[in-house]
Amino acid sequence: MKVILAQHGGQAAGINLNRPPKVIESAALDEPKAAELKGLVAAATSAPSSAASSGKARDEMSYTITIQDQARETVLSQSDTSMSDDFAKLLAWLQRYSGK
Amino acid sequence: MFSNHCRCINCITPPHLLKKLLENPDGRIRDAALRTLLTTAHLRGERSVRGLLASAALVSSHGRRTISDCANTRSLPSATIRRTEDGPASTDDSVNRAFVGLGLTREFYREILDRDSLDGNGMRLNGYVHYHTGYNNAFWDGSSMVFGDGDGMLFTDFTKSLDVIAHELTHGVTEFTARLEYLNQSGALNESMSDVFGSLVKQWAGKQTADQADWLIGAEVFTPGIGADALRSMKEPGKAYNNDILGRDPQPDHMNKYMNMTDDNGGVHINSGIPNKAFYLTSVGIGGYAWEAPGHIWYEALLASNLTTNFQEFADTTYLKAGQMYGSQSAEQQAVLSAWKEVGIRISGARTLAGTAARVRRPMADISNGRDEDQADVARRVEQLTGQLATLSKQVASLRSKPH
Repeated sequence: MKVILAQHGGQAAGINLNRPPKVIESAALDEPKAAELKGLVAAATSAPSSAASSGKARDEMSYTITIQDQARETVLSQSDTSMSDDFAKLLAWLQRYSGK
Repeated sequence: MFSNHCRCINCITPPHLLKKLLENPDGRIRDAALRTLLTTAHLRGERSVRGLLASAALVSSHGRRTISDCANTRSLPSATIRRTEDGPASTDDSVNRAFVGLGLTREFYREILDRDSLDGNGMRLNGYVHYHTGYNNAFWDGSSMVFGDGDGMLFTDFTKSLDVIAHELTHGVTEFTARLEYLNQSGALNESMSDVFGSLVKQWAGKQTADQADWLIGAEVFTPGIGADALRSMKEPGKAYNNDILGRDPQPDHMNKYMNMTDDNGGVHINSGIPNKAFYLTSVGIGGYAWEAPGHIWYEALLASNLTTNFQEFADTTYLKAGQMYGSQSAEQQAVLSAWKEVGIRISGARTLAGTAARVRRPMADISNGRDEDQADVARRVEQLTGQLATLSKQVASLRSKPH
């Protein structure tokens, strides 16, 4: 499984534009970490959609997490003010282990 | 207004003036305005009167501040209040910096632009610090300001930057005025408004002239080891940073470098470089304090803008407002014209006049005594001649109407 994290917008939008997405290959992780990632991905992809953004937030960041697992690709996209708990947990894990 | 002698219909104080008086800090004036409303017979019972009375009943909070601590979570509702408007300073420097920054922004809007908080009606100012863990950002969530601590590698605490604080709060002002849609050019204008007034609050707090100001946004949020000037430069868009860690600042400084993109809502933080530079050029062109003429021109243009205003429309409005406020062909208006021209936007009205001048057969050298003139000078002379012609026409008409 490959998980790709891209960050957008925010005060540092210009910097985020320059930075390539972070990629994590579960095959390169040790077993506990790989299992942890698998669990977080499962929770985030099965969680109900986050509450719709008010559309009034400015300079918030948004995040696109792409999960490529065998032949299937799932794309999750949420923002600071419209983030589900499960998405937040997956995001935090990816930011910690991908070097942000 | 309260004369006992004037009975003509023209002496009735118009509703918009009474509404303004209802907001006067002097209680005697507010009371007098309220009595006028109640005793003016032809207005009694009208919906407009009821609305004005309802306004009178609202007491402005005058932007009272509350700063809360998110304790490194993403939850605002569970944040703990750490400082209130009348409470003591906190032991947390982030709390105190946010408190001071919100206050300076509030005072700027009140003293310089006569605006009572973000909504013009004393809206309370709420700030949330220590949002999430290592959060490299600050944002406006639609009603409150939220600050991250930074990850300590690239960024530090975002409460350290007064212009970032004022930038975020200005998003609130924009939302209560033009409501510029946060997408493409209107979104880039939205961002630019925040950079403009963010920078102005910092300049005003430091009593800096346009020449003295650094025109940088977020200079204080980078960690010392990162070789970057700031998040953005209004003076030199595209040159705020350039290194292996951050890459190169992608902001354009001219319309010929405008970036059509889907990321960042169509590049709202990127293309803002163009109107940012126009404001910088206007400010140094006029000179003195940028929050005076330039700031007022931009503010009035913001009030006159709407959801879909684009760069050209906004530029035209700044030119119009400069003329209305400081006079047609004034130094202020000329500075606005020149600034937008330098970033690749020609003011529509000025272009029309210049086109008219081009069709005049008489060589302009005869009028100009051989001096070289640019199109703005030509446009000015055409306008002067047009005005003189109008005056002469009236005089002729007046002579013809007199009996022989």
